[in-house]
Amino acid sequence: MGEISATQAALIALWVTVVQARALGYSTLMLRFSPMMTGLVVGLVLGNVPLAMTITAAIQLIYMGMIAPGGAMPSEPAVATAVAVPVAMLAGLAPTEAIVVAVPVGLLGSYIYSFRFFINSFIVRLMDKYAAETNDKGLTFAIIILPIAVSTILFFPLLFVGLYAGAPVIAAFFSQLSGGIVFHVLGVVGGGLAALGIALIMKVIGKTQLIVFFLLAYFMAVSLKSLGINTVTYAIIGGIIAYLYTICANENIER
Amino acid sequence: MTVSEELVNKTNPIVPPEEITTKDLAKSWFRWWYANEIPHSFDRMIAPSLLWALMPVLRKLYKDKQHLKEAYERHAQFYNTQAIWGGGTILGITISLEEARAKELADGSADPDSEESGIINATKVGLMGPLAGIGDAIDSGTVQYILLAIFLPWAQAGNGLGALIPWVAFVALTYTYGFYFVKLGHRLGRAAVSEIVGGRNIKRIINGLSVLGIFMMGILAASYVKVESGLKWNISGKEFVLQKIFDQILPGLLPLLTVLGVYWYFSKKGLKITQALIGMSVILGVLAGVGIL
Repeated sequence: MGEISATQAALIALWVTVVQARALGYSTLMLRFSPMMTGLVVGLVLGNVPLAMTITAAIQLIYMGMIAPGGAMPSEPAVATAVAVPVAMLAGLAPTEAIVVAVPVGLLGSYIYSFRFFINSFIVRLMDKYAAETNDKGLTFAIIILPIAVSTILFFPLLFVGLYAGAPVIAAFFSQLSGGIVFHVLGVVGGGLAALGIALIMKVIGKTQLIVFFLLAYFMAVSLKSLGINTVTYAIIGGIIAYLYTICANENIER
Repeated sequence: MTVSEELVNKTNPIVPPEEITTKDLAKSWFRWWYANEIPHSFDRMIAPSLLWALMPVLRKLYKDKQHLKEAYERHAQFYNTQAIWGGGTILGITISLEEARAKELADGSADPDSEESGIINATKVGLMGPLAGIGDAIDSGTVQYILLAIFLPWAQAGNGLGALIPWVAFVALTYTYGFYFVKLGHRLGRAAVSEIVGGRNIKRIINGLSVLGIFMMGILAASYVKVESGLKWNISGKEFVLQKIFDQILPGLLPLLTVLGVYWYFSKKGLKITQALIGMSVILGVLAGVGIL
């Protein structure tokens, strides 16, 4: 059973803070919506990229289809991953079991993210003052620097303590349960929850009539499983089908 | 502005605005792209980001202190949209509208007190919703997840590139076509929107991406949704394994039913994600606990 050093906890907490503060511009969209890059960072910091990636891939499935119209999301995948992957690595959990750790942490993260909007609402008053003065330096301070500082105060200490003190405790708790009925239940729940993310993204992408393409791909992949066709190949096939579809749809409009 | 101030303006003509170049557009685009969600607040949403993006352009346009102040305050008002489709296009349109206003103020053809400046904000607010809808659906909802879906198996096999490639590709793609929207908005003004919302090519691209996105979800569902029955029983010495029977009827039946079940739930009840999450956990947990799954 391993441990997380203070430096490791600080590095992971710093990464998540940068993502949740949105301090890398629009590139933080995927960093916030998807657990993948956070999983990679956790793997690099804890020195086991392959294991971290395998666990993160399972977490990604439940967060497929997360979009944030207007800015708020029901869960924060990056926060969830930053805690769940180290816990799973320390406790030796299977990827599907890690999902059960990720879900509650992600929900908690979304409350903190909304709190960020709340604090920023006060900073806006300062922006109004500098805008009236046409003070560019002041505006950069109020629009960029101060909101990032606020997010740092909200996210960094919480994640650092959660990782440094919390992760080993949660991990110890889970490894005590190891092998029992609880683990069977966690594994089944985790494996089934992947359906949630996929159903969500289908709903988000839209039109019910397009479900035929889901069924086509699903039965193709199920029946051709033994051939080991990789997803890039499937994406090319999907692209060709999509292209043919747009041609047909277009001709229908023209007629 | 008072009458006397207006007289001063008429007697001391305002310095005309500087030309806005592609370089200025690129700078504003980077500033918008960077600030984007940093100052998000409940009451103004991401208006501060647009102000921050426009600051250098407004300084080139408004040489009169009072006009500059008005422009700054104009863009401090409520604004929220998606960064690329909405944000890019509206940034370009806004710059072209501000350019026109600055020129009119400088040559005296616009009345500084007129309601005309309200048109700039009305345009922004009118366009932000529809364009954000398209942008959320395409960038966040489709392009992002197609890229993630393609490289997910790499990650599952333990390869870090499975995380890195989709991210780099997503950032590069959205940054590039976002800047195209800025230039389009700047060149066409308000007409750019009908180009995007009503254009046949864009509709084709959206349709094609939707089909590809849905298709890739079918591929993912087949490999990653794991729902299996562990139930077996004995009838007069013969063992029946429920999962084997399912596999004989239709391979992959249970995962498919699970996905379609959740899809049906979202269709009926709306996108209540947290409820669906809790509901599914309870149902799957109970079924696993009693040994059916």
